[in-house]
Amino acid sequence: MTRYIIRRLLQFIPVILISTLIVYALVFAIPGDPIRALAGDRPMSDAVREQLRQQYNLDDPFFIQYFKYIWGVFTAADFGTTFQGRPVLDIIQQRLPVTVTLALVATAIQAVFGVIAGILCTIYKDRFIDRLVQVSTVMMVALPIIAIGFLLQLVFGLNLGWFPIAGNREGLVSYLLPAFTLASVSTGIIARLLRGELVDAMQSDYVRTATAKGLKRTRVIGRHGLRNAMIPVVTFIGADLASMLGGSIVVESIFNLPGLGEQVYRSISGQEGTVVVGIVTLMVIFFVVINLLVDLLYGLLDPRIRYE
Amino acid sequence: MSISKNFTRAGVVLAASALVLTACGGNGDNGGDAGTAEGESAAVAGGGTISVYNCEPQHLVPGNSTEVCGSKVLQQLFTGLVELDYDTYEVIPGVAESWDTEDSQTWTFTLGEDWAFQNGEEITAQTFVDTFNWVVNPENTQQSANFFDNVVGYDAVINEETDELEGLRAVDEYTLEIELAEPFAPFPQMLTYTAFYPMPSEAFEDIEAFEQAPIGNGRYQIDGSWEHDVQIAADRWEDFPGENPGLPERIEWRIYSDIDTAYMDVQAGNLDILDQTPPNRLTQIEADFGENSATFDTGSFTYLGLPLYQEDFQDEDVRHALSMAIDRQAVIDAIFDGAQTPATNIIPPMLPEAQDGICEWCEYNPEEAADLYEAAGGPSELTVWFNSGAGHDQWVEAVANQWRQNLGIEEVKFESLEFAQYLELHDNEEITGPFRLGWTLSYPSAQYAMEPIYTTGQSSNYTGFSNEEFDALIEEANAADPETSIELYQQAEEILLNEMPVLPMWFSNYTTVHSDRIDNGSLLMDQGTFLRLEQIVVTED
Repeated sequence: MTRYIIRRLLQFIPVILISTLIVYALVFAIPGDPIRALAGDRPMSDAVREQLRQQYNLDDPFFIQYFKYIWGVFTAADFGTTFQGRPVLDIIQQRLPVTVTLALVATAIQAVFGVIAGILCTIYKDRFIDRLVQVSTVMMVALPIIAIGFLLQLVFGLNLGWFPIAGNREGLVSYLLPAFTLASVSTGIIARLLRGELVDAMQSDYVRTATAKGLKRTRVIGRHGLRNAMIPVVTFIGADLASMLGGSIVVESIFNLPGLGEQVYRSISGQEGTVVVGIVTLMVIFFVVINLLVDLLYGLLDPRIRYE
Repeated sequence: MSISKNFTRAGVVLAASALVLTACGGNGDNGGDAGTAEGESAAVAGGGTISVYNCEPQHLVPGNSTEVCGSKVLQQLFTGLVELDYDTYEVIPGVAESWDTEDSQTWTFTLGEDWAFQNGEEITAQTFVDTFNWVVNPENTQQSANFFDNVVGYDAVINEETDELEGLRAVDEYTLEIELAEPFAPFPQMLTYTAFYPMPSEAFEDIEAFEQAPIGNGRYQIDGSWEHDVQIAADRWEDFPGENPGLPERIEWRIYSDIDTAYMDVQAGNLDILDQTPPNRLTQIEADFGENSATFDTGSFTYLGLPLYQEDFQDEDVRHALSMAIDRQAVIDAIFDGAQTPATNIIPPMLPEAQDGICEWCEYNPEEAADLYEAAGGPSELTVWFNSGAGHDQWVEAVANQWRQNLGIEEVKFESLEFAQYLELHDNEEITGPFRLGWTLSYPSAQYAMEPIYTTGQSSNYTGFSNEEFDALIEEANAADPETSIELYQQAEEILLNEMPVLPMWFSNYTTVHSDRIDNGSLLMDQGTFLRLEQIVVTED
């Protein structure tokens, strides 16, 4: 198991290096001079522009730029700055907690609601509750996330006044509406995914054996059926959490949460290569680490799985 | 209307400065009760706190701020040599008590003696010399450095031959002399711009630290530091040495990434003021806010420029026809719910130099336009250029449709580009058809409305327009005394409206929405689209 983990960790290195190179190249390929665009309709003087271009290595060819960036990262832990002069690390430090909180609350919501709905569907298979969940989850998956967000803001924020409409100045409460919005689609997917797996599992031999032993129905579903049915669900939740940790541009921006997604969007339009690379690298790390954790979780859920 | 507004304002200032608990004592000798007689509610004691929409500033250093988000804040934190009277657009004293010039070329400013920064550092003539030298120095990469390009010695500093502007002199402690390379009558107006605010010496030692919590000499003093993407808060500076201290006790700029969200937050009472309602909300303002909204004309000018370096647009008849084929009011009604003022001039109507009814070719006249276009052999295909992601798509398409209909143009294509790429194509003269650009007055002067965009070779002259007579008139006007200059600027404007290097589209109207706590009558927006926050009256705690 330890060897397995070490091998997986070593695989991270090329993944991260290659992804930073690709992202850097993509930002580099955007046409136009970002420094020129900073000043708007009234151009800044050539002297200032030149100075700024030099400061951000923009006059260098691509590989030199990339090398200077990587060199800075490894020799001085210097991840570069925005064109405003703010260090990328500061930005990540400020924005990461927002995105992490949002992602965790959303994950909790979708796990709890999705799993409960999936179990209810199995228990009441083909009856009213099952149909209700099936129809409502289709709707949740189909509605664009921006519409759900606005709807929640309008109803629970503006009309009922139960939750703040935007911002995060009221602590965890302010994350509920955006988290529900972010979780809506996945909740539906989890419910349907789990229902499918669980219905299958309930027809398998070991469940029949468990029932025949005279176990209580809750125990049959909880210990025997669910444990097997959860593997794809856990995979899905893991992958979803990883992508949410990269930040959600839409949700963060309509709920005015200063998280990573909104910054990436802004930095891509402003062609701030180092910022984009910094944040995207972080996303890649999240993704591979969470993937590893999910793989390790399989072993707990299904003891037949071994790590070589 | 503006008289009663001033009275209310004066009453409140009295109350605030005397630390009286209510503002409606009714015995104010200059009309403290004029406000209450009108049924307006009284201001809260101390002035109250207002929360205001803002976007995340790029910079909070005066010389480096070129966009509204930062300038909104800096205007409250700093006071320049001079200020503006926003009712008349006259220049009034700031740090300088008076100023004088004989030839519009050498300017002498006499500074008030009781000015200091919020950290106690005294402000003298040397403060301005140091600040201006620092801003121009290319090492400091200040984006507004070129606002100083008319000061004697600018080139030497830019070329790093010296780090002191030759034309800048502290004659004695409170006398500042600025010598310009060319006579420039609107100099005092220009000095109202953000780039000319003084900075304390500690700014030059560590500009990064300074930017996070700027120390100014303005009506408001930053509380804590700039919370990026969250908020910037400032308290009224009780030792403000100038005239008319701020009315609200505290201003909190809440930073939003999405303006629609801010709109909803005002509706819910979580935010006091949104100064610019997004166009998609304009139709519902009446229902959502009733009387809690106000619309202002601004000097923010939108135009469709024509690339005169392309052969198709060199004939002025083609340009006239394109202009006459646009029904500006129809576009404004359809796309902006009427909230723009159709432009029939280049100098914004709010300035004293503005003229009325001088644009022969701005009137909608599809028949004459069609005849003219055909006779001049205008192009049968057009490509219209604009920058993407800024809400221009709809109206540009509407205009293109009118051209298609009225001028018999067969095909109109659109090129929508990211701003950086868009500007680069302009620099390389690769734009092939009408293009959208805008211009906002950083300082209120007819000169600034024209010289940077239309004078030969100027940095913002994207059309490639070049007209000797126009250039000469601008030069002459810049050197003339204020009265004569008005007339000369007006003549220059007439040339532009005849030659039409750009098709004037409209001057933006900004619609402000606010919570119940704000006195609607105290709202005022200036030419640069800035709501004058320091004058706002709060009526509820």
